[in-house]
Amino acid sequence: MNERLQAIIDGAKRSYEAWLSNGRPKVSVCLDTSSLARGADETLARIREVVEREGIDADVGITGSWGFCWLEPTVTVRTAAGTRTILYGEVTPDRAEEFVRRTLLENGEYPELALGVVEGVSSEGVPPLSEHRFMKGQVRRLMANCGVIDPENIDHYLARGGYEGFARALEMTPEQIIQEVLDSGLGGRGGGGFPTGRKWDFLRNATAEPRYLVCNADEGDPGAWVNRILMEGDPQLIIEGMLIAARATNAREGYIYIRYEYPLAFQRMKKAVEQAYEKGLLGKDIVGSGLDFDLIVFRGAGSYVCGEETGLMSSIDGYRGMPRIKPPFPAQAGLWNKPTNVNNVESYANAPLILRHGAAWWSGVSDAKDKGTKMFTISGAVKQAGCVEIPFGYTVRQLLEQYGGGMRDGSVLKGFQPGGPLSGILPASEIDLPLALDPYRERGMFLGSGGVVFFDQHTSIIDLCTYFVGFAEDESCGRCTTCHGGTQRAVEILRRMAVGGGRESDLDKLEDLTRTLVWSNCLHGQFALTTVKLALRYFRDEFETVIREKRDPAKALPGLIRYVLKNPSAASVEEAAAICPTKAIVETHAGWELDDDLCIRCGACREVAPDAVDVVDRFPARVPDVAAASG
Amino acid sequence: MAAEPSVRELRELVAEFQPNRGHLLPALHKVQDTYGYIPKRAIEVIAKQLRTTPALVYGALSFYSEFRTVPPAKTEIAWCSGPACRLMGGDRIREALEHTLELPLGGHSEDHRYALHLGQCNGTCHEAPQIWVNGKVVGRLTVAEAIRLARRIREEA
Repeated sequence: MNERLQAIIDGAKRSYEAWLSNGRPKVSVCLDTSSLARGADETLARIREVVEREGIDADVGITGSWGFCWLEPTVTVRTAAGTRTILYGEVTPDRAEEFVRRTLLENGEYPELALGVVEGVSSEGVPPLSEHRFMKGQVRRLMANCGVIDPENIDHYLARGGYEGFARALEMTPEQIIQEVLDSGLGGRGGGGFPTGRKWDFLRNATAEPRYLVCNADEGDPGAWVNRILMEGDPQLIIEGMLIAARATNAREGYIYIRYEYPLAFQRMKKAVEQAYEKGLLGKDIVGSGLDFDLIVFRGAGSYVCGEETGLMSSIDGYRGMPRIKPPFPAQAGLWNKPTNVNNVESYANAPLILRHGAAWWSGVSDAKDKGTKMFTISGAVKQAGCVEIPFGYTVRQLLEQYGGGMRDGSVLKGFQPGGPLSGILPASEIDLPLALDPYRERGMFLGSGGVVFFDQHTSIIDLCTYFVGFAEDESCGRCTTCHGGTQRAVEILRRMAVGGGRESDLDKLEDLTRTLVWSNCLHGQFALTTVKLALRYFRDEFETVIREKRDPAKALPGLIRYVLKNPSAASVEEAAAICPTKAIVETHAGWELDDDLCIRCGACREVAPDAVDVVDRFPARVPDVAAASG
Repeated sequence: MAAEPSVRELRELVAEFQPNRGHLLPALHKVQDTYGYIPKRAIEVIAKQLRTTPALVYGALSFYSEFRTVPPAKTEIAWCSGPACRLMGGDRIREALEHTLELPLGGHSEDHRYALHLGQCNGTCHEAPQIWVNGKVVGRLTVAEAIRLARRIREEA
């Protein structure tokens, strides 16, 4: 191994080992965007306060996320002698005092909150974490450090095999590195699945200089946060991946483009880059290898279409983030019209694993056609919103039932959406589809970057279409008429349907639009109506009911329902009247009445007075011709 | 409300940025991080510093939804527009907020005491449906709770 790199790694190992064996128990609070939403910063402050007040000799620190997002704040406690590490969940600020008392002052465990033993002997009260239903079947490779190390300390990363992949890359030629990545079968993780090694080869073969690397961390798909988990949990992994790519492509400068909505990921990546510079792992003549590589952490400013690679580069260039026509492809003309390679966060993050352990090990994780592991986030009407890392090929059902804990009480699965607003929706009957690229391609959609959203019977398909197409309309850059005009037209039709103005011809019109938008310049326009296309295929009857009967089976479309007082004399009506933001519930000489003209269908009244308020169809029932005809 | 920063102050603030280096967004961020918004004057100062035109600077800044040209309100309410929130009744929360605050999304009260924004999903979907009040998550919200919160903000802000 490169001697200077070896010395850096050895130094980090010594300091990490010294810290681990300093005889102090270690309490580490997961501090990421998900846990902060549950008050993890307060939990951390309270734990510090109690530890100090009680004079306990313990190290209190931070980690990234294990993926147990719904059980945040999670906290790991390692015993003084290092014999046992336990992961705890829901250590809310109000439990911090009790938590410290039980884990550090008394017998050392708090079984009621324990999720499992991470390391060391398990007991009856606290089984191994690997036996937790959420962890079983997961293969933590990318996430091996997430929740385990302090993401703001490069030594932790270095001491646990970090930069060994880069060390191996330094001993290889660029061709060999690319061959290794090609052999692994790594496909682009942003959703496209294009072989990463080939992309690198394009850049290596480019003729112009300088050349650039870009890491696309503009994870804009709502409902997907896999990149955030990595950036907040193990940022050095991404830097090492980019260094390997730099070595393979002879790029001298790189950008990590992080969306505005991820301030903590931005701070963590910045800190990680600073620490890599301090260690001499970025900059000029890195560890004496002759490789120069500068890395800039770039902050977006709120634009979904900047996740499209040419839009992203326009944004770095300092223009409106409008995608442009390809070709030329980024490898020919990217940033400042120079050769550029753009990969997703997860694509770069796999490179250190491939180089460290070899392509055969990496791709040997499963027999699935798509190689390697993939991170997924689960959200929607599920019990457990979280993040998992699994080999390709597991079914959506497993994702929902095992990792997502199933649907929430009272919810029945109606369908799901993999891959973000441009990907499309599938019905519950497709729940046994494997999580792999092909099945979704065959259906004219894509698996996408990792977000999977599950929806239930209370969701209107027309509303869902309006939502996703409305999102695409809002975020359209405005260049192609097919896209900005087409999404606008589709939203108009959907909105008209949603208030009872649907026409028989609307379905043809929508289908026409889905065929027209594919002629847009970039993926944004091309896929903007995928949701509509698939909804018309799988949920056509719901469109027909809404158009013909002006009735929403989900009782969700505001224009097709009415709130009524089913029990005007109930005591709770007064409370309903008080909460109504438009004062639509009024007391007249005849008693309480609900003025439909004022009602905005927010449903607050029904929340506070379920016994008094009901939701009914807005239009009187009609016997539809189809029902009569089909018997 | 504080007066707009002077041209000299703005020039010093963005002095480190250079033309053709991808510095426009970082410069705009620095101004917004400093003042909470991008004063009109800053557009010309940045244009000069980066040797471009105010039109190109304004063109870029108006493209991105998180750059703002009005000072932030005392209480900023961001409504999460993500799918998990939507499925859990987020849209009804938006209706209720808009009517209770008497503001559209993107609007602010005349006295800048409170404002309502559209927020993008950041993957805290276990808190759905949620809003952010001055950046702090208020999650697992019911419509009624949102109305009570908005009323308190209107009264107290």
